[in-house]
Amino acid sequence: METVLLLLLLLPLGGFVINALWGRFLPRRAVAGVACAAVLGALVCAATALILAADRAHDFTFFQWFGAGEFATAMNVHYDPLAAIMALMVTFVASIIHLYSAAFMRDDPDYVRFFCYLNLFVFAMLVITTADSLVFVYLGWEGVGFCSYALIGFWYQDEANANAGRKAFICTRVGDIAFGVALGLFFARFGNFSITYINSHAAGLSPTLATLLALLLLGAALGKSAQLPLTVWLPDAMAGPTPVSALIHAATMVTAGTYLLMRLFPLILLSPPAMLIIAGVGSITALYAAFAALAQWDIKKMLAYSTISQVGYMFLAVGAGDIVGGLFHLVSHAFFKSLLFLAAGIVIQALAEEHNIFRMGSLRRLLPGAYWLFLAGAISLSAFPMLGGFFSKDRILLATFIHPGGAYLIFWLLGLAAAFLTPLYTFRVFFVAFPERPDGRRAAEIHVTPRFMAWILWPLAVCALGDGLLNLPGGFGKDFLGYYLASVPGARPELGAAAATEWAMGLLSAATVLASMTLAYFLYRRRPAREPALTGFWGLLFSGFYLDRLYGRIFVQPYQTAARFLWRRIDDPYDRGLVRGARAIFRPYRAMAAFFWVKIDEVFLDDGVVWAAGGLETLSRRLGRWTSGRLSTYLKMLLLGLTILFGALALTWHLR
Amino acid sequence: MNLYAGTFYLLAAVTLGSTALAVTRRNLMHAIIYLVLSFFGTALLFFLLGAPFLAALEVIIYAGAIMVLFLFIVMMLEIRPAEQPWGAYLRQWLPAGVLGALSLAALVLIILAAGGDPSLPLAVASPREFGRFLFQKYWFAVEIVSFLLLVALVGALYLGRREE
Amino acid sequence: MNSLVPYSHTLVLAGGLFFLGAACTAARRSLVMILIGVEVMLNAAGLALVAASLRWQQLDGQALVIFIMCVAAAEVAVGLALIVHCQRRTGSLDADRYRLLKD
Repeated sequence: METVLLLLLLLPLGGFVINALWGRFLPRRAVAGVACAAVLGALVCAATALILAADRAHDFTFFQWFGAGEFATAMNVHYDPLAAIMALMVTFVASIIHLYSAAFMRDDPDYVRFFCYLNLFVFAMLVITTADSLVFVYLGWEGVGFCSYALIGFWYQDEANANAGRKAFICTRVGDIAFGVALGLFFARFGNFSITYINSHAAGLSPTLATLLALLLLGAALGKSAQLPLTVWLPDAMAGPTPVSALIHAATMVTAGTYLLMRLFPLILLSPPAMLIIAGVGSITALYAAFAALAQWDIKKMLAYSTISQVGYMFLAVGAGDIVGGLFHLVSHAFFKSLLFLAAGIVIQALAEEHNIFRMGSLRRLLPGAYWLFLAGAISLSAFPMLGGFFSKDRILLATFIHPGGAYLIFWLLGLAAAFLTPLYTFRVFFVAFPERPDGRRAAEIHVTPRFMAWILWPLAVCALGDGLLNLPGGFGKDFLGYYLASVPGARPELGAAAATEWAMGLLSAATVLASMTLAYFLYRRRPAREPALTGFWGLLFSGFYLDRLYGRIFVQPYQTAARFLWRRIDDPYDRGLVRGARAIFRPYRAMAAFFWVKIDEVFLDDGVVWAAGGLETLSRRLGRWTSGRLSTYLKMLLLGLTILFGALALTWHLR
Repeated sequence: MNLYAGTFYLLAAVTLGSTALAVTRRNLMHAIIYLVLSFFGTALLFFLLGAPFLAALEVIIYAGAIMVLFLFIVMMLEIRPAEQPWGAYLRQWLPAGVLGALSLAALVLIILAAGGDPSLPLAVASPREFGRFLFQKYWFAVEIVSFLLLVALVGALYLGRREE
Repeated sequence: MNSLVPYSHTLVLAGGLFFLGAACTAARRSLVMILIGVEVMLNAAGLALVAASLRWQQLDGQALVIFIMCVAAAEVAVGLALIVHCQRRTGSLDADRYRLLKD
């Protein structure tokens, strides 16, 4: 069991090392082969570990990392059902994305670098998933942050992409500061970084400290998961290649924040105010992002905002005390969101990097594979009754509804509103981009994409549509996932709501979704598609309520102004003053020199200079002997050095 | 001043004297022969200082093998003493001699300044004890040194080959 | 009656031998004499070690002398092979002739 877990972590790392060192010398097939084999191997390990674990928790320490007195930690893992499900999901989605990328990036010159970073990312994510020591988690945390930066700015030759990468990194860094402070507090209070230790000893914490810690963890999660107020980096992160968006910004890195909260859930449970804030942030972000997604014309940006919105749901679940629901939605979302991204990737590549949905069309005829795949994903995302994300989203809304506290009713309403908007924006894009265009343009597509890219996605589609089966609220296989996770601290397999409430919730959700889809049909299918003007209400939505501009004004512009001020007013004048001062000093000297040259130099011209030159020549010749390159000289120098050493030692002996 | 101390000083004088002669000879053969004498003196000193095994090894390895090798090379390469006027030769020795004398003076100063100067006891380490000690505590070093000798052998073979 | 000389005397003897060897290495021009100087230095070190071993009544010093002898032997073998090589290459064993270390 321990070997399996060790392999789980080491295989992707090994893939990274091999490709980093020798990828340049291998043919492309081999590079992709190594990377995919590494991740598929990790998938096998994850599945094996899940079977072997038999829904108990396992703790292993791989080796002692560092220790300075009391401040010590090890690289250890805590493999419980929560980690098991997460690891399986991560490796499964990553495998499909690796295989897809082998085809997607086929024409890219930086093939090797891509797969290196992809493998490294999977390693770091698995570290976050399984680690027990919070410092080890932090290692993985930083690792995914770095890989995200490297992969977003993958085509860094274009400055916009590099900027997007930097923006992502800086925003998540703000969250990491909170994590760092939390680490310090954890050590101060518990003397230990182990998650298991903290969870089992959390009961003794004072409410204030628990709230503080929970809020710091929330701060860390906000950065990674792109929740308010740190959402601004995710839409820009779409500058990276589509498989990157699918892996990092749909399935894994953005869920790392939620996952951290779930791992330390017993701690968060102790603080009702923190849970309230978490739920609030989640629901507000969900609605905010849903609004923004409604106005996007770039297909990837719509999916990005949709991700922000759905991750908001996961935060809402944690805030409502239901980590089973949160994890369920996390897994569902991973399936359908990565499916959507990858299908969109096929479309984008086929149409020569066209992202604008208003310039697409007739894709049912031209790209049938992508059409049906995207439709499957869209249905899942919309939480169509009985399919895909319906059960997970329904469960989250139910948990929020039955949670005591008036604020939670408001959150439920926000979540419901977001649930209404989700099918609306999803099918807006679907109806604009995919069906036949009225003017019949796009008679022939520009590029042919490999068929492989489409049919590798079908397993993902099946999972996306059918994953409701994981945790049905009733009937056969009831709460399967919930009971699997029963041993995870803080998990509630069943919500314990009255049956009537459950049915009412379910029907309400179904009704909302169907109404929204009908509205989308009438708005976007029946009428011709036009790009909306980006003014007023639509402009507000498009720019995400001007959050980017706000940050620009608060943070970026003052910094730039200060830098410009320092440069213009201080640096430049200083340089100029220096030059003028130097010239002023030299003026009397030059006068003096002229005088001396006339009076004195001519007198001593003959004797002095010649004599000095001759003397210098002799001196340089004598000195030059030291660098003669002669062996005997060097040996004498050695002895001289030794003599000096001994002499110094003898003279200072009395000081010993 | 007992018998052993007297022997020590006599041997010390012989060793120092022959070494001094050895390093100052212009004829290479003479220098080597004097050096053999010096090593013999050292071997006897080892014997006096309680290391009979090392004394034997000194004679075998140093005086026996190394010096013979020197002789062999000198004869093979037919090295003749360089023709050099006496004045130049003395001038050659000046810097090194001065430095050596200074260093020796510094060393003596240090030794005088450091206190605690016990008389050496009379003791002997029998070869049996010494062998047992060597192979118990430093067996690894012995292995490494044997490997080193192999490397030196190969190196010498390669460097000395005739390039046709 | 049961003691030898003071320890410092042996150290002075070893030091004297050592600096004789050092002066030989520094002063002489023939490569073979330089190597001989090195041998003298090694021997002097061995002498100091045996004296120390007697002074502290521990055999580690003597063990080290064995290793020094072995290393000296190896070094002489390689050094002389190098000298032979140099003689064949340049026809001279004068240290002043080797100036290739100069930049």
